[in-house]
Amino acid sequence: MTEEALPALLIAVPILGATLPLALGLVRQRIGWWVATLVLAVEAAMASWIAYAVYIGGDRITHILGGETFGRKEVTVGSFDTEGFIVGIELVADALSGLLVALIAFVSLGVLAYARRAGPRQNTFYSAYLLLTGGLMGLVLTGDLFNMFVFLEIVGLMTYALVASDRSAASAVAALKYLVIGTTGASMYLVGVGYLFVRTGTLNMVDTSRVLAGEPEWLEVTGALYTEPLVVASFGFIAVGLATKTAIFPLHTWQPGAYSEAPDSVTVLISALVSTTSAYALARITWVVFTPEFFAVNVKATEAILVLAALSVVIGSVLAAMQQRVKRVFAYSSVAQFGLIAMAIGISVHPAATDTATRFAVYGVVIHLIGHAVIKGGLFATVGAIKKSTGARSIDEYAGLATERPVLSGTLAVLGFSLIGVPPMIGFVGKWYIGLAAVKAELWPLVFVIFASTLLTLLYVARLLEKLYFTPLSETTDTAQEPAVATDGRGSVSFGMVALAVTAAVLAVGLGFMGAELTDAIDPLVDAIQESSPEVHQ
Amino acid sequence: MVLESIPPFAIVLIAAVLVPVLPRRLGHAIGVLATGSVAAISLVIDEGTHLSGFELFGTFDVVIYNVDQFSRLMGLIFGFIAAVAVLYSYASDADSIQTAFALSYVGVSLGTVYAGDWLTLIFFWELMAVTSTLLVWHYGGDAVRSGFRYAMLHGIGGSLFLAAIVWHYANVGAVAFTGNGITGTVPATLAAIGIGVNVGFVGLHAWLPDTYPSPHLAASVFLCVYTTKTGVYGMYRAFPDGHIWIAYMGGAMAVFGAFAALLQSDMRRLLSYHIQSQVGYMIAGVGLAGGAIGHGGHDKYYDVLAAAGTFGHVFNHILYKGLLFMTVGVIIYRTGQESLDNIGGLGRKMPITAITFTIAALSIAGFPGFNGFVSKGMIIGAAHKKHLDILWYLLLLGGVGTFLSFIKLGYFAFIEGSYDGVVKDANIGQSVSMVSVAGLCVLFGLRPTLLFELLPFQGQYEYTTYTASHITEGLVLAGAGAIGFAVLRGPLHHIGRVPDIDSLYNRGFFYGGRVLIVAVTELYAFVDRVAVGLVRNSYWVGANPTLAVARTARYLPQSVRPSWDDEQPQADGGAPPRLYLRAGIGTSVLLLATVLTIVLLVVL
Repeated sequence: MTEEALPALLIAVPILGATLPLALGLVRQRIGWWVATLVLAVEAAMASWIAYAVYIGGDRITHILGGETFGRKEVTVGSFDTEGFIVGIELVADALSGLLVALIAFVSLGVLAYARRAGPRQNTFYSAYLLLTGGLMGLVLTGDLFNMFVFLEIVGLMTYALVASDRSAASAVAALKYLVIGTTGASMYLVGVGYLFVRTGTLNMVDTSRVLAGEPEWLEVTGALYTEPLVVASFGFIAVGLATKTAIFPLHTWQPGAYSEAPDSVTVLISALVSTTSAYALARITWVVFTPEFFAVNVKATEAILVLAALSVVIGSVLAAMQQRVKRVFAYSSVAQFGLIAMAIGISVHPAATDTATRFAVYGVVIHLIGHAVIKGGLFATVGAIKKSTGARSIDEYAGLATERPVLSGTLAVLGFSLIGVPPMIGFVGKWYIGLAAVKAELWPLVFVIFASTLLTLLYVARLLEKLYFTPLSETTDTAQEPAVATDGRGSVSFGMVALAVTAAVLAVGLGFMGAELTDAIDPLVDAIQESSPEVHQ
Repeated sequence: MVLESIPPFAIVLIAAVLVPVLPRRLGHAIGVLATGSVAAISLVIDEGTHLSGFELFGTFDVVIYNVDQFSRLMGLIFGFIAAVAVLYSYASDADSIQTAFALSYVGVSLGTVYAGDWLTLIFFWELMAVTSTLLVWHYGGDAVRSGFRYAMLHGIGGSLFLAAIVWHYANVGAVAFTGNGITGTVPATLAAIGIGVNVGFVGLHAWLPDTYPSPHLAASVFLCVYTTKTGVYGMYRAFPDGHIWIAYMGGAMAVFGAFAALLQSDMRRLLSYHIQSQVGYMIAGVGLAGGAIGHGGHDKYYDVLAAAGTFGHVFNHILYKGLLFMTVGVIIYRTGQESLDNIGGLGRKMPITAITFTIAALSIAGFPGFNGFVSKGMIIGAAHKKHLDILWYLLLLGGVGTFLSFIKLGYFAFIEGSYDGVVKDANIGQSVSMVSVAGLCVLFGLRPTLLFELLPFQGQYEYTTYTASHITEGLVLAGAGAIGFAVLRGPLHHIGRVPDIDSLYNRGFFYGGRVLIVAVTELYAFVDRVAVGLVRNSYWVGANPTLAVARTARYLPQSVRPSWDDEQPQADGGAPPRLYLRAGIGTSVLLLATVLTIVLLVVL
């Protein structure tokens, strides 16, 4: 077996594994966690292998499912093989997807340590959990536009199920809202892909990109299709669809409810991975399918992204600062952070961006995607652990908890500072590159927005930390007077829960020192984007 | 040879470290030995000896020790006078710590004059300001305040000089001495002002009479030597081709210093003004040292004469000014009085002091037969031959003023009046110090060729010290001084303290500083209020979103104002009601459709 089988296995193993908790559940209760751990351990090993092959070995690993290459050959950067095309589904692990594969594998394995005590404990939960992981892997690895829709739906359906998995009324409503809006968004994406298919006759990303550029000789096209209304409209549908899934303002309405009502383990997982992969999909399609050349002739499309992104950053931060429930604070914070990522995607293809600006913007997108996943996952893990041990949910209830829960409070502080972007943490590195890109592209309003977002982030993080560390415990008589809050949540916190939170905090600091390694890993991607090449080669 | 690899400043600095830990007698002996050996090394070491190959910050090639004809002369006289001054300190009950500070000051001054590049020079230059401030501070009392003012001014001057060097580096690309000094208009101006603080340009000089009279009497002997003379050396390094403005500034200093000195009663304050006056001659010499200055051109030797005269005057001045501070120090040591108003008629009681003082006074005034006559004559001669008549008259006038004020000092201290109480003459150590220096003053005055052999540019100029016209000039100046004193004798006594420029800028500094501090404090308080207010308001909005929206809504016109108050009951146990800003499912899908429509409209 060679590495070429890995992309398929990465998707197939968790999906097939998802059947086991249900099947084995017939003979034994509570076996789901063990099955999930085993499957995801295998998954993590495979992800490490593929990441090693991609980043150390310098390979671009492709796997074609049920199809024929029709003479398409591997080509090097810059020169197009205009001969063949692909029928069938291509899976691609390259410099962009490799990082995400590793992120998904390790985060989903890590969250299991948290879920062991935090629950839910039904076997069905772990089936859905594995299915979600498989869907996320597929979303990241696929090189096919329609296949991406399929995985988007798998991810969506499993997320709806997981959000509602604690069977409370509030979570059911949140899940229903998510289902309706998420499915509408996915449909928009499908409409966009449909338009593209009508015009280009292919669903493979690489082939679509080539047809759009007017390259292949086997298609009777005369030059690039970038200005055609069908193509432009398809970008609009795809962007809006994926923006909904990513929860960019004002399409975020499902997200705070889903995050705050879901069980804590689920919040950790989906906040770290679900919107992240949707943002990845938006970035990948923007860079690799439409390529900067599309945006060079459709400046309006870039500007639409930038305006939405900037609104998302500012309003998301303001809304976060207005919340009382801590989970909702961080939920709205994600709206702002994904606004930053969308902004960086916009800057990277903006015609005003120089080569350096594009480079920094791409660094910013990838690093902030990973950094935000670690930080936000860690924050929700900490918040969940605090709720479990003290029953505190709102900011007022956090008063003076620092003395009671020093480790968790310290974790919250470190992750909070990382979210603000205090050097040298990972949150700083990502934001720094995005800010630098905006400066290099001389898009001053965006520079201002990025700066303002830092201040607004400071506002809500400082409010939380002030309560934690500087407001005395005795002031909050509310907590003591409301046994209702205490009884439903109070309980012991497992080592796994604290360990996950602390690991995230350590990673948030440690990854900050690995900025150079990360940018080295992303460099091939930058080269490909700058040459508008549909394939990312090392 | 071992000598060549040991920079002189290292020897003195090692001694400075040893002095406070050793017994007082042994420590001072080592101080004398170390500084004396520096003088000896400077006499015998070959020009061109250098210690280089050090890289500072990985970019600057620095030469921490470099011997040429100028630094050799400076090293010789610095080492010699330091040895004498350490002996004098020992005899004048200076404690070991003070001598250690003094030796560190001597050490870094030697570092400055033996520096082979600008970076090393400014490094030691700044250290010189630090060590001399410590030397002043060590005495305590009023010296602390004047030391503080001294440090401020030298900090500013040093920074300007540093800025000049940085700019120079940016222009030239190297820190090593190029032989052309500091070039470029801005860096040259910065350098002139920065060094001008050290040499006491008129207007920048007030630290001199402010600081030098305040510390221990032995500390003054050190102070009067190094800072200003290193300044002259630095000025020559920075402006080897002279500058006419610098020459005139020298003339102005010579006159201003001499006549300001005339108005003083405090003996050391009087001497301090004379430092400015004498350094004025040297600065005039530096200014004249270029072939392009005045008449004469490059084919003549006048510029070389001015440069040699400058260094000769540095050399002589250190001898007689050190001697003057030593003799005045002895008077203060024996009587405890600082002011001429409180003493008098000491000549018969302290013959050695009186005689050595007379020698020093005649030297500084430039009386024929004493060393000041030789070197001052060279500078005045250069100004004369370059036909810079105004400068020439200024320098002559400065000479008259010098005569006047030293006749005043000598007359009121040693001749006129009487002093009650028992006064002994200088003790053995002090006498040895004073007599040896006085002997050199006479020796170099009577045998100028001995001096010429030590000076730079040996043999490149012609100067005969004892010509009829030179001697006449010296005697006329002396006569004018004597007549002037006879006329002004009454008014010159009991003048009281005359304000100098520093009373102006000390006040300006004080009130300006107050305004600045108050302004900064108020600004900070304002920013603080605004920031705290902003945070408090943000908190309030965060805590009471409903009230905030309701209050904001009051500013809207009635027609569009939402009716929050009806829907949201306010009296909820005092807790603010929750604000429902959440979009329902239907609204969300509508939003999605709207956004899509807008995006498509924009894009298409």
